[in-house]
Amino acid sequence: MVLELQRPRPIWQIMFSTHHTDIGLLYLITSLAFMFMGGALALILRLELFAPGTQVIADSMTYNRIFTVHGTTLIFLFILPSASAFGNYLVPIMVRFKDMAYPKLNAIAFWMIPPAGALIWLGFADFTWYAYPTYSTISAPGPAADMWIFGLKILGVSSILGSINFVVTIMKCKHPDLPLSKLPLLAWAYLTSSLITIVAVPTFAAALLMLLTDRLGASGFFNPTLGGDPIAYQHLFWFTFHPEVYILVIPAIGFMYEIFPRFSRKPIFSHSSGVAAFTLLAIVGFASWAHHMYATGMSFTEKTVFMVGTLAAVPASAMHTFNFLATMWGGRIKFATPIMWAVGGIALFFSAGAGGVVNSAMPLDFITHDSYWVVGHFHLFVMGTILFGTVGFVYYFFPYVTGRMYNEMWGKIHFILSFVGTVMVFFTQHILGLFGMPRRIYDYPPIPEWVQMNIIITVGAMIIGISMAIFLVNLIYSSAKGKPANMDDPFGLGGKYYFPYKAKNPHH
Amino acid sequence: MAQLEQQQDPIYRTSPERTYKMMAIMLGICIVGGGIFFGLWDFWTSMPPEIMGQDAEDHGAAPATASGVEIPVSLSFVESSDFRTLAFNALPGEAGNNPTIMANVGDKIVFDVINDGVSFHAFGVTAEEEGFEGIFPGSEIASATSPLKAGEGGTSEFIPTEPGTYYYICTVPGHRMQGMVGEIIVGEAGTSAQAAAPTGVNHDFVLDFVESSDFRTLAFNALPGEEGSNPEIRVKSGDQVTVTATNAGVSFHAFGVVSNPDDFNSVIFDSAINSASNPLKAGESGSVTFLAGAPGTYYYICTVPGHALQGMQGSFIVE
Amino acid sequence: MVSGNMSGNHSTWPEWVYVGVVVALLCYVGAEAWNIERIVEHVPADAEIIKVTGQQWLWTFEHEDGTKEIGELHLEKGKAYKFEITSKDVVHSFNIHDYVVLLDAVPGRINTVWFSPNEAGEFPIQCREYCGLIHYNMRGTLYVENGA
Repeated sequence: MVLELQRPRPIWQIMFSTHHTDIGLLYLITSLAFMFMGGALALILRLELFAPGTQVIADSMTYNRIFTVHGTTLIFLFILPSASAFGNYLVPIMVRFKDMAYPKLNAIAFWMIPPAGALIWLGFADFTWYAYPTYSTISAPGPAADMWIFGLKILGVSSILGSINFVVTIMKCKHPDLPLSKLPLLAWAYLTSSLITIVAVPTFAAALLMLLTDRLGASGFFNPTLGGDPIAYQHLFWFTFHPEVYILVIPAIGFMYEIFPRFSRKPIFSHSSGVAAFTLLAIVGFASWAHHMYATGMSFTEKTVFMVGTLAAVPASAMHTFNFLATMWGGRIKFATPIMWAVGGIALFFSAGAGGVVNSAMPLDFITHDSYWVVGHFHLFVMGTILFGTVGFVYYFFPYVTGRMYNEMWGKIHFILSFVGTVMVFFTQHILGLFGMPRRIYDYPPIPEWVQMNIIITVGAMIIGISMAIFLVNLIYSSAKGKPANMDDPFGLGGKYYFPYKAKNPHH
Repeated sequence: MAQLEQQQDPIYRTSPERTYKMMAIMLGICIVGGGIFFGLWDFWTSMPPEIMGQDAEDHGAAPATASGVEIPVSLSFVESSDFRTLAFNALPGEAGNNPTIMANVGDKIVFDVINDGVSFHAFGVTAEEEGFEGIFPGSEIASATSPLKAGEGGTSEFIPTEPGTYYYICTVPGHRMQGMVGEIIVGEAGTSAQAAAPTGVNHDFVLDFVESSDFRTLAFNALPGEEGSNPEIRVKSGDQVTVTATNAGVSFHAFGVVSNPDDFNSVIFDSAINSASNPLKAGESGSVTFLAGAPGTYYYICTVPGHALQGMQGSFIVE
Repeated sequence: MVSGNMSGNHSTWPEWVYVGVVVALLCYVGAEAWNIERIVEHVPADAEIIKVTGQQWLWTFEHEDGTKEIGELHLEKGKAYKFEITSKDVVHSFNIHDYVVLLDAVPGRINTVWFSPNEAGEFPIQCREYCGLIHYNMRGTLYVENGA
């Protein structure tokens, strides 16, 4: 499945390769597989929530396990590896170097992902992807919970190793004639998200270890009967995972910085604005974590501090939106599949951010916290922005990887169905949250508004499911039997705007 | 920047064979993984966290007997005028200072505590010889982070399950060290409350779990107000009892005879059907046969946390 | 319009205006939110204290006079009530959505929130923090009655 840089070679040779293009493709295949698996879990959840009462899931424990694994898989086993995938493939090319700085470490970081994924999927824990104590320490059953903790520990280490690799490659291995200020914005995206990872993720690694020792009874960090505090975990968790959402979204924004100028046949409106926005977001993103914790009993001053920190990060995201729109303005746009996904992604990014401003306002959060408003809000980010950006980039990248073109008509149908479905599901969930439906519930009382909205949401989810099935078939069929692509200009953009990056021949 | 070069090398595109091979590998992994997961379905969520097992050990096995004796104890927090010395009921040297409570295993000690000082205090019973940890659930009044202010009070209870010395303390850090501690000396269960030898008499009881349609009310056999709800059970010590329980609701339930209806862990006589961590699902049944032990008033409950409090309990009297 | 370097040679004043508008909007949101929360958090001195205890999987309440209720709470219209909320085991969240009462029930800690029901009727009480098997059904009912 690799665009062969040498004559076709056996799969086992690709699997044990340390070359960045091979590892990038291993990451891509793994992440797409988990995307479909995690998405399928969501469809099962939505079938169950179609109406009050039991539909397809026999008991609430199974439901709880499904949503836990759904969230864990899509964040840690789809979004992060897919960012690593394109990063590994493209960063050495963008900095004009022959490979990543540490090729063997790169391979090790990838190969930690399948065992971690196996641990998470075999155990199927039930304590939500947050794993808050004291439920996770005194009530969540094992060995599923312990397997989840070990799995995430391994993934955290893999993330940190990969990030170190990116930072060293970009800062130290880039070509001497290439100044940082001229580096493509996608490379800047990887630089900033990797720096955030290195600072933020070790905190969660510590929190996981504390969870484990608490579960074993060897410590009482989060156990009030032993003098601990469950809210301490929430601080540690969100100190990592608020910056983490920027780690997730920054690569997707980077993908859009590749797609928009090429398909608008016009340069980026302002390269330096993009750099400034990434840097600002990375720094200010650390100042807002406890906006997830307004309801834990924080004082007025604490809440105010974090509200200000949250609002301070919004202008940076707004700058990216402006940059994209200004890039398209006046351009000669070719409406191929990749830019449709990118435009849809920007529209949903804006809506997600607007809803987020509501949450950050202290009194309003007490209406929306832990309700379906929050579910709708963050899904507009992870699905609307990140998945749309990633899928658009997968379409964009497809001819370079496989040498064949995907089916353009089905790609556009995939986009339209996904966009309609995403709006139906996640915009409606905002309203459902305003009506008070809590998150993470297996069943709900037959309140008429809740029932009506849940029906709309389930139908929307099924539309997304159909579109993803189309995507899967398109990917598989086109890589086997798709029309051979014109490798100089697969999208027919003409002139200077073909994809300028080519991998160097690997010196194995 | 390298300009476009004429393609000298042939372009190798992905082929159908490569694609099929990859799909076969992915499917193979899913099938093997799925086989392991579904094959061991019950195993993955079968074990409560290890710390919970430790807690049960700390508190000892549930008492085989409940004595039915209730010991009311009135305590007040007192302070010396310079706040250096703290105590219960009276300062050191005065009569009634930190009274010692005598009890037997299975007695229920009911505390009525009031804050007669001007500072903040809280209450609890612990087996630890030092410090303010290891407080037995049910014995606490207020807490160090939200204590009793001057003039405030509360009640709690403590049923010792093993003989030995326990301590009632003020749980605000440091107050025990400053003198707010007293002893509870627990002796063996009285000789009058022993289990009789097996009588050979058999009783069969059917106790089904029922729920109201809004899940607010739970009970055995029938909802409160209807006939047969939470029937009282009387047997003689030494009788053999068989209980068959069917889950006639849609939620989860489990069964056990306990000495303290608020403590779903205090199952006695080996009378458990399933448990909170492995409950009976809707429609499932289970049964248990056990010998009724020492005479006393016990309770049969659903051992899923909270269900006894919502109504799933009845009296189980051993004569 | 096509130039050799990465971004065009053009003025960037539209972007500055746009960022300025965004920042102004956010300042307004922040200031208004700060002010409203400050007002909302001021507990009236005559609020009656209701102790709320969450446990897996039900709510229990204790009034000032010692009356205990399980799963139901009877209050009077127009009076101010202050909830002192704690948990016996895991983290729950006490929520009366119709009156925007929402605060976590954390074991080892007592959280406080107040409200004053201004309409008689029945209002659902629910748990808003995942707490296990029957979190979805950890519900209760608030009955607000016209005062005597």
